Amino acid sequence: MTADRHPLSMTVNGNRIDLVVESRRTLAEILREDLGLTGTHLACEHGVCGACTVALDGKAVRSCLMLALQADGGAIETVESLCDDDGALGPLQQAMADSHSFQCAFCAPGFLMTAHCLLAEDRDIGPTRDEIREELSGNLCRCTGYQSIVDGVERAVTALVEARNA
Amino acid sequence: MRESLMGKYVGARVNRVEDKRLLAGAGRYIDDVSVPDMLHAAFLRSPYPHAEIGSIDLTAAQALPGVHLILTGEDLKSRTYPFFGTLNFPRFYQPTFWALAVDRVRHVGDPVAIVVADSRRLAEDACELIEVDYEPLPGIATVEQALDADRAVVWPKSKTNLHYQASERFGDVDAAFAAAERVIVETFDQHRHSNQPMEARGIVAEVDPSSGEMTIHASTQSAHMVKWCIALLTGRRPLRRVVRQMISQRDHTKAIFKGMADYLKATPAMVAALKEMAPVMLKQNVTNVERTKAMNGAFVGLMGRDPKTLPAALAGDVGGAFGAKTAVHREDVAVCAAALELGRSVKWIEDRNEHLTVGSQAREESVDLAVAVRHDGTILGMRARLTIDSGAYPGFPYGGAVIAARLARTMFPGPYRLPALEFHSRIITSNKATYLPYRGPWEIETFVRERMLDVVARQLGLSRAEIRRRNLIGDDELPATMVTGPALDVRMSARRVFEKAMDVTGADDWEKTRAEAFAAGRRIGMGFATYIEAAPGPPGYMDNVGPGFSAMVDREPINAVLEADGTVTLHTQQVTHGQSHETTLAQLAADQLGVPMEVIRISYGNTRTAPFGLVGTAGSRAATFASGAVLLATKGLRDRIVDLAADLLEAAPSDIVVEDGRIHVAGTPSIAVTLADVAHAAREKGDEARGAARGDEAIRVSELFDGGAGGWSGATHVCFVEIDLDTGLVKIPRYVVVEDCGEIINPAVVDGQIRGGVAQGIGAVLYEKSTYDDQGQFQAGTFMDYLIPTAMEIPDIEIHHVETPSDVFANYRGVGEGGAIGAPAALCNAIEDALSDLGVRITEQHLPPARILELAGVIPTLSPSR
Ligand code: FES
Ligand code: FES
Repeated sequence: MTADRHPLSMTVNGNRIDLVVESRRTLAEILREDLGLTGTHLACEHGVCGACTVALDGKAVRSCLMLALQADGGAIETVESLCDDDGALGPLQQAMADSHSFQCAFCAPGFLMTAHCLLAEDRDIGPTRDEIREELSGNLCRCTGYQSIVDGVERAVTALVEARNA
Repeated sequence: MRESLMGKYVGARVNRVEDKRLLAGAGRYIDDVSVPDMLHAAFLRSPYPHAEIGSIDLTAAQALPGVHLILTGEDLKSRTYPFFGTLNFPRFYQPTFWALAVDRVRHVGDPVAIVVADSRRLAEDACELIEVDYEPLPGIATVEQALDADRAVVWPKSKTNLHYQASERFGDVDAAFAAAERVIVETFDQHRHSNQPMEARGIVAEVDPSSGEMTIHASTQSAHMVKWCIALLTGRRPLRRVVRQMISQRDHTKAIFKGMADYLKATPAMVAALKEMAPVMLKQNVTNVERTKAMNGAFVGLMGRDPKTLPAALAGDVGGAFGAKTAVHREDVAVCAAALELGRSVKWIEDRNEHLTVGSQAREESVDLAVAVRHDGTILGMRARLTIDSGAYPGFPYGGAVIAARLARTMFPGPYRLPALEFHSRIITSNKATYLPYRGPWEIETFVRERMLDVVARQLGLSRAEIRRRNLIGDDELPATMVTGPALDVRMSARRVFEKAMDVTGADDWEKTRAEAFAAGRRIGMGFATYIEAAPGPPGYMDNVGPGFSAMVDREPINAVLEADGTVTLHTQQVTHGQSHETTLAQLAADQLGVPMEVIRISYGNTRTAPFGLVGTAGSRAATFASGAVLLATKGLRDRIVDLAADLLEAAPSDIVVEDGRIHVAGTPSIAVTLADVAHAAREKGDEARGAARGDEAIRVSELFDGGAGGWSGATHVCFVEIDLDTGLVKIPRYVVVEDCGEIINPAVVDGQIRGGVAQGIGAVLYEKSTYDDQGQFQAGTFMDYLIPTAMEIPDIEIHHVETPSDVFANYRGVGEGGAIGAPAALCNAIEDALSDLGVRITEQHLPPARILELAGVIPTLSPSR
């Protein structure tokens, strides 16, 4: 069980990170344990719940399923990056807060990152409520029944579309 | 009085205080806790449902570099006290057992050894190197197997797998059945399913290496419960040392006894309860000697302990619980024992496979029911027999199954006139995981009653609304008393709520709508369910569970503190885990004090600062108990603030106004003082003005709230479905909840609680099942086997509120559980309605697509209903 270790370089929330990591470690573990970014949560570690969702080069990925070394050379964004520079909630987070989207909020980072990637998609009109539901269906929440989360994303989409068209 | 309603926050959809932290990714859940020099634990668990443990070979695992400690059940015998039953009921057997299996494993996932290593990964590697010799035994996986005299018993000392029996009669049952024009009989089954919060369990036992003191970081619903349960079960020393310690701290020992005597003197209800229970306790002590020894050993151990060595407990952010975190688990005790042994901090984070397998399972119940009715639908009486499969090990500090049985029996009449009830309960033990409370643990009463009302209506040729109208208790009959005991006060609005639900949904015209849809080839259905929920129930409600329970739990302590800087802190024993107490309690306090919400901080989860209470956040009690306590304490604080401000402003206290945190004389807002000024004045003035203030605090007011008038929440759920018999899929195009939870503190929080509960009820019916095969092998250990509904499966849920005006103090009632109570019945009733032309009868609760197709006769029936 001697560890085979390899160098890993990536950017995380805009910061360049160089590490040497054991090949069996997941991206989620590196983010949480080595970089202290505990906003990314683990709720199943088998790829179903989406709590661990982060953005890799703008695409939502499950950091529990991905080996850290697979992210080599990539740009990672986590929930911590969504805040404004002064630490206040960013627009997406604020839209979710305004909609009372979450309760225990353990699932929140995953939903936020899924929604963040959805919002980043370059499209003229925002996704419909049904499309939002479908996009969010890879994330599990046990507290809310989802309606408030869909409301929150819809609110963020509306704000974004309005801003784009302004 | 209702002065709080005049404020600007209470009743408004105020944004959540906790979101600033939680949505930034800055929450501190249990896996986010990291303390210096911390080691990591993993458990080796049984692959067998039932087996004798032969030898355990740790050699290879211990040799793995980075492994610090491995403990087995045998090792715990000298280091911990065994788990024992704390409840007292006649005909009730409570087994005694250890945190890790000794001699025998009793379900898949039963922990056999704990490994502590440098990392979680290493600890798991080491688990794989442990060799255990198992001698498999036949498993008990069904009620029939449990009651089969030829099969093995799970707990040999009890000689039977039947661990609890009770039979009670309320009203004149014989007369009711003699007068019946029809007696309708049916059996209903509910399958084992699971709480499954998104954050599983976990614990960090932080040990200060110099002092040996332990702080337990826990993902729990009650911090004090964790502290005292761990204190009770860990830190075992030989009896002679315990006794020596007791003698050396004679004064402390005396103080404990004096404290108990004072408590009893001040609580006559408890004395009466103890008198009532004495014969039962005595009998249990004599017949279950193992338990008596364990209990005495643990309590004497606790008394003979240097109070400085008691652990503290800390709950941070908790990622959901739904009842699963009301218990102290066997793993918790094993982790603390390992940490104490090593003198080092140890962390254990449960993974999803463990949580599905052993973390929390519930609801495996069935009811045989006979209803005596008149042809016009009037219900005269019922006979019910409830059977619960409680799994192998009861929860601690109390077994969830017996509490569920007591509550289901109490609530069985619901909001209906039921003059006579005979109720039998049985609890069996099996080779399955621990049965824990799950959101509305007595929900079976609503499922069975509301299902049965549909059956009765059909058999009598009445509409489903009609049978309910004939039997629901209306406003004109209140106050009333349920035949099982609890009082229904004039705010119990089930009848009005029901009528509003019928109005909102046009349910009375449904038959026509359905017939048209059927004719057009669309298979649609509608079902409803009406219930009331003791949230928290009338005064003394918990005495229906057991003697003395109300005296024990109906006391909500709170401390309201004006800090030196002019902010206000409320210290509560609640441990919010999604209920948004940091927001709702602050809304109440801010309005009461006349300050902006930002001034208020809710402090919870730390046994060093939180007032003592073992309940924490559970049982939909906080809305009344915590809110009432906050109103009382902030009223006291406000009086003190006003008195001091009156001095500063040289005016009479009655002329003082507090607005937006500024304190002035009525009519002259320009000359004002602030809370910081008042805090300064209080500190200058000294003790008399400061109440029980400690340290830097300016003023401290402590209160204890007994729940006041309490009261009922209630709702009618109306569920619409459309079923596709090609696929067996059930769609829910519309779901309506009409509810009454008294006055609403924050509508967004109330609606969120309702929707979450409904989603879990829908999940239970259409997707979720903790499946075991008939040997007791567990088959749903991942989220691919145990299906949690997603945003695609849960519809938008339409909510309507009924508020019953009242001058009752703290007229806020709980909504945490109701959604999950009403949904299974409403959905199952809708499904039966949609299949009504096929003669389908639904008597079970788990209806995934394959089962729908079986019931509809589209495919042959393969699976037995469980
Ligand atoms: S933790 Fe990664 S999908 Fe569940
Ligand atoms: S808010 Fe608790 S899991 Fe989503």
